[in-house]
Amino acid sequence: MAELTDLLPTGASAPDAVLSDGSRLSDLRGRPVILAFAPDEWNPTHAYQSEIFARLSQEFGAGAAFVDTATEDWHALDCRGTLAAQFGVCGQQALFLLDEHGIVRWQTVVGPGQQLRAGQVLAALQALHPAPANGASGEWGSGLSRRTFVTATLAAAALLLLPGCSPGADDKSAPNAQAAARGSGQVAVTLTINGKTHRLQLDPRVALLDALREELHLTGTKKGCDHGQCGACTVHLDGQSALSCLTLAVMAQGKRITTIEGLASGEELHPLQAAFLKHDAFQCGYCTPGQLMAASALLQDPHTPAGSAVELREALSGNLCRCAAYPNIIAAIQEVQRA
Amino acid sequence: MHPFQYQRAESAEQAVAAVAPNPAATFIAGGTSHVDLMKEDVHRPALLVDVSALPLREISAFEGGLRIGAGVSNTAAAYHADVQRRYPAVSEALLAGASMQIRNMATMAGNPLQRTRCPYFRDPTQACNKRQPGSGCAAIGGYNHVHALFGASAACIATHPSDLAVALSALDARVQTLGPRGPRTIAFPELHRLPGDTPHLDTVLAHGELITSIDLLAFTGRSHYLKVRERASYAYALVSCAVALEMSGGKLQRVRVALGGVAHKPWRLPAVEAMLAEQPPSEKLFRAAAQAAFADARPLKHNAYKVPMGRDLLVRALLETSGLRPLQGPAGTAFAASVGGVAGQLAAPR
Repeated sequence: MAELTDLLPTGASAPDAVLSDGSRLSDLRGRPVILAFAPDEWNPTHAYQSEIFARLSQEFGAGAAFVDTATEDWHALDCRGTLAAQFGVCGQQALFLLDEHGIVRWQTVVGPGQQLRAGQVLAALQALHPAPANGASGEWGSGLSRRTFVTATLAAAALLLLPGCSPGADDKSAPNAQAAARGSGQVAVTLTINGKTHRLQLDPRVALLDALREELHLTGTKKGCDHGQCGACTVHLDGQSALSCLTLAVMAQGKRITTIEGLASGEELHPLQAAFLKHDAFQCGYCTPGQLMAASALLQDPHTPAGSAVELREALSGNLCRCAAYPNIIAAIQEVQRA
Repeated sequence: MHPFQYQRAESAEQAVAAVAPNPAATFIAGGTSHVDLMKEDVHRPALLVDVSALPLREISAFEGGLRIGAGVSNTAAAYHADVQRRYPAVSEALLAGASMQIRNMATMAGNPLQRTRCPYFRDPTQACNKRQPGSGCAAIGGYNHVHALFGASAACIATHPSDLAVALSALDARVQTLGPRGPRTIAFPELHRLPGDTPHLDTVLAHGELITSIDLLAFTGRSHYLKVRERASYAYALVSCAVALEMSGGKLQRVRVALGGVAHKPWRLPAVEAMLAEQPPSEKLFRAAAQAAFADARPLKHNAYKVPMGRDLLVRALLETSGLRPLQGPAGTAFAASVGGVAGQLAAPR
């Protein structure tokens, strides 16, 4: 396996060198430069590879001009040559991004028999540039120029196409991905929450949890794991408990949604809320809204048997409590059951 | 999450017509697995066709058995009186799986179509032929403690995660579908496929083919599901076992056995089934059957524990189903289906 530590590290000043077209690396100061070390068969000017560049350029909203820039600033080099050795590359496929000052801003390597994953590239890029500010030109968060970032993005994408790196499913779905990016936008979503109708414009990707918290400021519903594992986001859909983090808001239309804000009757607590207070059924309280919503749905469901403590524990195993207030939670629920 | 367009289908025909011609389109119903995988960037559909509002939410009598609509929730099916009484393995598998919230959301067609829990599949930074064909398999040389004993390939060693699928396989349920070329019936044991060199395909369903119902055939015998997991509740099976058998005159008649957590699909054991037929049930017989069942297991570096665990589980499932040993909880509940955890904490006859 290739040792990353042998590569010229990020932040180092790149050595001067003669490139394949006869120019010197130092002559290219003032513009970002991509150095790709690869076997001979790699050629970024191949038609389908250019097409991928163009697609990516559109995905990032960069505009066609950047494609030319990227291919112009692209230098494919033999991964076994002396220049490669100067960068610590010895037969691996590797990619370096130099900024306008000749400093290594990003590098990555694909060892023999290894394949670069899209996620690795995206992670690297996110580290380079955490959040675009309004898409405006000029300096971005980490000090990289927009041009450098876009060039790096395209270069990274190109690296995925290096020999031995399968373009795979991403490649096949790219034309449709474009269509989706174009067509996604906002859709009208009508939600009935705690008896009130709300009309929203939402990206279809928005989970019900985020619509509740971010759009409607119903922040009683908590985001714990965001992956359906902890139960903190539990709400009622048509009277049954459901995970709002795994429910797309657009799919919750037409359903009766109840959140923790809708559990009490005005100032009068739901019996479970009162019992949780009485039995001290929480410490930090973060999981409590989810516990209450899960338990209240369970108690009003005639089909789900939960007469004993062991049945309650089993039925509520989808609600985690990091403070482990479980005995008190079960005691509170059982008191309401008996009442 | 990758951007997508959203459509709500008004009919099964409309849903199929929307998905079939678009390779980047998928159906969505309960969404419990699908939305999670979209958040992880593992699933990247460009078009989501919502089938949750289709009129596929009935459970009805059908040819002496039951027809369960594709959109029936896992909760509704699990607590349906006829399912719980006549096909307890189905209720046990459902109730020993996921959490109450997820069972309320998940559908009967969606549950068997959930993707593997192989951690390398769910991590887009890892090689996975199932997620990205041709990219390799990080699990083969990785930490493969939850992976397959049977039917794996050089491309994929993932296991199928659904508990329900194991019960439906043992019961020889039938899957009704509507595809671009019309309706068809698939025998449940034929629904899922082995990975071979195309592990990105979990099932034999064509792109755009929609499951419309799961049919449980007429059956008067006993069925049972048992599951071993790492937590007392809300965890996937390490190994599981479904048994459906008929007895007459003190002898086993037809016996059907499927294992879960050991292969890319519910793993039926035809040789074991043949060995048990027409025999008087005994622990000795079941031990011999369990020995035979795992004779051709191919353990990996970290999952050899599944072999003795699976053998013991199979023996126990056969003992409990044939009545030689009492269930560990009421039939048709998670308490009967559990090994450890809540097993034995609720008396069987109530």
